[in-house]
Amino acid sequence: MTAPATDRGPNAAERGIPALEVRGVTVRFGALAALADVSFTVAPGTVHAIIGPNGAGKSTMFNVLSGVYKASEGTVRFGEHELTGMRPHKIANLGIARAFQNIALSGTQSVAENLMLGRHHLTKAGFLAAGLRLPKATREGLRHGERVREIAEFLELGEKLELPVGILSYGDQKRVEVARALCTEPDLLLLDEPVAGMNAEETRRMAEAVLEIRDALGISIVLVEHDMGMVMGIADRVTVLDFGRLIADGTPAEVQRDPEVIRAYLGSGDEQLPGASANTASDASSTRIPTTTEDQA
Amino acid sequence: MNTFLTLLLNGLSLGAIYALIALGFSVIFKASEVVSFMHGSLLLFGAFTIAKLNASIGFIPAVIVGVLATAGVGLLVERLCIDRLRGAPVISLAILTIGIDIMMLTELTRRIGSDILNVGHPWGGDFVSIGGIGITTNRLYAMITAAVLIALFFTAFKFSSWGVAMRASAEDGETAALMGIKRGRVSALAWVIGAGLAAIAGLFLVGSPTPGVAPVVHSVALRAFPAAILGGLDSTGGALVGGMIIGIAEAMAAGYQDQLLFLGRGFGDVVPYVVMILVLLVRPSGLFGTKELTRV
Amino acid sequence: MSDTTTAPSLGDTDAPVSTSSRAKGLLTVRNGLLLLAVVLLLIAPIFVEEFWLRTGFAACGAIIGAIGLNLLVGTTGQLSLAHAFFLAVGAITYVYLSGEEGGTAETVNGLGLPPLVGMVAGVLLAGLAGLLFSPVAARLRGIYLGVASLGLVFIGQHVLNTWTSVTGGFNGRTAPRFELFGFSFGSDNPSLFVLGVPFNAPERLWYLGIVLAVLSYVFAKNLLRSRPGRALQTLRDSEVAAAVMGVDVQRYKARVFLVSSMYAGLAGVLYALSIGSVAPESFALDLSVLYLAMIVLGGLGSVGGAALGAIFVTALPLVFQQYAGALPLVSQPGQGGVSAGQAARLLFGLAIVLVILFEPAGLVGFANRFKRKGRKRPARTTGPTPSPTPAQGSTT
Repeated sequence: MTAPATDRGPNAAERGIPALEVRGVTVRFGALAALADVSFTVAPGTVHAIIGPNGAGKSTMFNVLSGVYKASEGTVRFGEHELTGMRPHKIANLGIARAFQNIALSGTQSVAENLMLGRHHLTKAGFLAAGLRLPKATREGLRHGERVREIAEFLELGEKLELPVGILSYGDQKRVEVARALCTEPDLLLLDEPVAGMNAEETRRMAEAVLEIRDALGISIVLVEHDMGMVMGIADRVTVLDFGRLIADGTPAEVQRDPEVIRAYLGSGDEQLPGASANTASDASSTRIPTTTEDQA
Repeated sequence: MNTFLTLLLNGLSLGAIYALIALGFSVIFKASEVVSFMHGSLLLFGAFTIAKLNASIGFIPAVIVGVLATAGVGLLVERLCIDRLRGAPVISLAILTIGIDIMMLTELTRRIGSDILNVGHPWGGDFVSIGGIGITTNRLYAMITAAVLIALFFTAFKFSSWGVAMRASAEDGETAALMGIKRGRVSALAWVIGAGLAAIAGLFLVGSPTPGVAPVVHSVALRAFPAAILGGLDSTGGALVGGMIIGIAEAMAAGYQDQLLFLGRGFGDVVPYVVMILVLLVRPSGLFGTKELTRV
Repeated sequence: MSDTTTAPSLGDTDAPVSTSSRAKGLLTVRNGLLLLAVVLLLIAPIFVEEFWLRTGFAACGAIIGAIGLNLLVGTTGQLSLAHAFFLAVGAITYVYLSGEEGGTAETVNGLGLPPLVGMVAGVLLAGLAGLLFSPVAARLRGIYLGVASLGLVFIGQHVLNTWTSVTGGFNGRTAPRFELFGFSFGSDNPSLFVLGVPFNAPERLWYLGIVLAVLSYVFAKNLLRSRPGRALQTLRDSEVAAAVMGVDVQRYKARVFLVSSMYAGLAGVLYALSIGSVAPESFALDLSVLYLAMIVLGGLGSVGGAALGAIFVTALPLVFQQYAGALPLVSQPGQGGVSAGQAARLLFGLAIVLVILFEPAGLVGFANRFKRKGRKRPARTTGPTPSPTPAQGSTT
C-alpha cells in the first residue's frame, strides 16, 4: 500500500493543525439527553478514539462535530473557529471531514465521481462554466482527478474507480467512504466505525491505513469503533462515553483498567440475579434517540 | 358586521370540509410516508358515485356505498401499489399517486362530460339562519359531521390500539415493526380512513352553494393540500388548523372581493396557495410539523 | 502510482462506461447510429410532411422543458409541479415583448421588440421567477416542495387570467412569429427552396427547434458530468453527506431551481411559436403533470431519457388524433367513447404507474436491458436509490 504524496510528511505542528476542543457539549431531544456535558480534547496529529456501548452517543457526537446536529449547550472549537452553530458545509471548509457509519455514498454514481465530491470545496466550477464546458472547468476537473486517483490507489480502490458504488461490497464501500473524506484534504478526519463488517484481514489493513494517514499527512483522526483490538492498537488517546456521559478519558492502557469503563461494558459481576437487568449496557437498555422534537397528536 | 360574521361562518364551514380532506391526507402521510396527490380524484370519485347511485337506491344507501367504494379504492391502491414500494424514495411514491390521479381524473371527466351532476342531498339548497347569520343547510351539516368525525378520529388516534400503532409506526417504523406492529395493516387502514374522509368531504363539497359534481371539483379539492402543508404534513392537529385557516381565508377573500379587486377577480381561489407559501417562508415544516433535526 | 498517464475519466452518468475492446466496438456503432440520426434529422424536411414537422417542433420544445425538469426532479430529487408556471412566464414574456398592440376580445399591449430579444428575455425572466421562488424552494424538504409548487401554478393561472393587458386574459393572445435578422421562421419570407422543396414555416421551425434542443441537451449533459452535477446527484441520494462534504445545500437547490426554470422559459417560448398563440388554460397543472410524465417515462435522472419521454408524450396524442379512425378504442370527437386526448392521458397515467412499479429507470432502463446482454458488468439504474440517513438511526 502506498501512502499518498510523500511518505513522511510534515507533522501536525508544522502544518498548523490546531487541537479540537469539545467543552460541555449537551444534546437534548425533548427530555432525553443524548449527550450530557461531554468535554475532551483531540491533540493535533493524534488518533483519538471514542468508544462506548450502544446508545452511548458516539454518532450523536460526530453529528455535532460535523454540524449536522446543533448542540443544546456547550462549544466545540477548532483553533480559532467556533463550530457550534456552523452549517455543515462551512465546517467542511475548515478542514473537517467525515466518513459515515451507514454508507452515505451516491449509489448511482461511480467511485471516482463520489470521490470527486470530496474535492467540491477545493474547486470552483459553477453551473455556467460546467454547462458550457469551459476550458478552465475541464482543466480543474483533470487536475483534481489525478489527486483522486492517488487517494483511491492508497485505499486499494484504483481498479474500481469506474464502477458504480452501488455494486461494490460493503467493505469496499466503507473504503470509498474513507477515501472520499480524505479527498477533502482534511486537517481533522472523523471516521465512524470504519471497520464495521470487515474481517480480520481487512480490519488490519484499514488500521494500517489509518496510521499511515496520520504519519504521512500529519492530520488528527477521531475514530468511533467497537472493535477494541483495533482501537487499543492504534489510538493515542481514548474517550469513553456511556449514556451520553463521558466516563473515562486517557491512554488506551489507562482506559482499559478504568473500573467505570469495565462496569459500563461488562456489568459489575456480583449482582447477576436471574431476571435482574443490572448494568449490561450493551444490549436492550440502549437509549433510543427519537427523531422528533415535538410530541405529535 | 353581519357580512363579516356570515363570511366567518362560511369560512368555518368550508374549513371544516378542507379539514376532513387534509386530515385524511395527513393520516396517509403519517402511516405510509406517501403524499397522496390522488386525493382530489378520490374525492371526485366519491361524489360521483353518490350522485350516480342516488337515483336508483336512495340517498343514504348511495352515501354508504359511495364512501365504502372510495375507501375500497384507497385500500386497493395501498395494497397493490404502495405496499410493493415500501422503502422506495418518497418522490417515487408521490409520482405514483400522480399517475393514478391522472387516470382517475381523466376517466371521471370523460364520464361526467360537460354535465353537472346533482348528488341529490335531501336538504337541497335550504338555508338556515343562526342569529341573523345565514348559512346553507348543507354547510351546516358539513360542520357538524366534520366535528363529530374529527372528534371520533382523535379519540381513536389517542386511545385505540390502531392509533397508538400508527403513531409508533410514524415515529420509528423499524422499532415498531420489531415490536410486532404490522406496518402493512396500519398503512392499509390509514388509506381506508383517508379515502373515506375524502368521500365524505366530497359529499358536502358538491352540495349547496356549489352547483354539483363537475371535474372542477378536483381543483377545488386541491386547496386542501395547502391546508395540510401549512399545518405540517405529519401533524393531524395541524391539518385541522390548516383547514380552518384556509377555509376562512378563502371565504374572506371571496366575500371582500370588491375591496380586493386590485388583486384580480377571483383572488379567493388562489388565496389558499398564497397563504401556504407565506407560512412556508417562515416555517418550512409547517406550523405544527416536525422540524428536521438534521441541518444541512 | 497509477501507470496510466491520463487522469481517470469520471464517467458519464448516462452512458455506460467500459474499457473492454468489445465495448469499444459498441461505442463506434453507437456513434455511427448517432451520425445517421443527425443526417436524417437534417434532411427530413425534404421528405416528411408538414404534420410531422410541426409535431417535431413541438417535441423539441417539450424536450427542452423536460430536460430542465429532469435536472430538478430526476437529478436532484426535488419534486416540483410548478413547471407550467415557468413555461407561462417564458411564453408571456416573449409574446408581450415582441408582440404588437391590438387584440380582438381584449386590448393587449406589446412592445414590438425583435423576437430574439423576446426569446432571450423569456428565458431570463423565467429564471428570475425561479430565483424569486428559490428561497422557498431551497428550504423545503423535497416532498413539501412538491405541494408548495402547486401553489405557483394556481397563482400563475390567476395572474394569466386577470392581467389582461399583458396576457389577453382568458382568451389569450396571438404569438408573434419568430424571426432572426430579417429571416422569418413563421412565414415564407424570404422564400427559400432546397432541392426544389419550398422551405416554409414548418421546415424552418424544425431546424430552429433542433438546434435549440441539441444545445439544451449538450449543456445538461455537460452539467451532469461535472462538479455541480455531482453535487446535485449527491443531494438526491444523501443531503447530509453532500453538506458534510462541503456542498452548500440551500444554494445548490436554489441554483438548480433557477436553471430548471430557465429551461422551462425557453420551452414556453417554443410552445408559443408552436401553437401560434398563448392562453391561460394551456399553462394549468395539467401541463406540469404532463412534463412529469415525460421524465418519469423516459427515466428519472437521465438527460437522454427526458428527451425520449418528451418525444413520446408529445407525439402520442397528436398521432392518436391524426389516426383516430384507425385506432380501435379511440372515437372521433362528438361520439361517446374515449377521445384521442383522453386515450393518451389514460395511457400516460397507466404508464407512469407501471414504470414506477416495475422499471423505475423508464425507457432508458428498458433499453439498457437489451444492451446489457453481452456485457459482463451487472446493471446500473439511473433512478434515485434510497439510502439510509447516516445521521439518524444509528444507536452508537
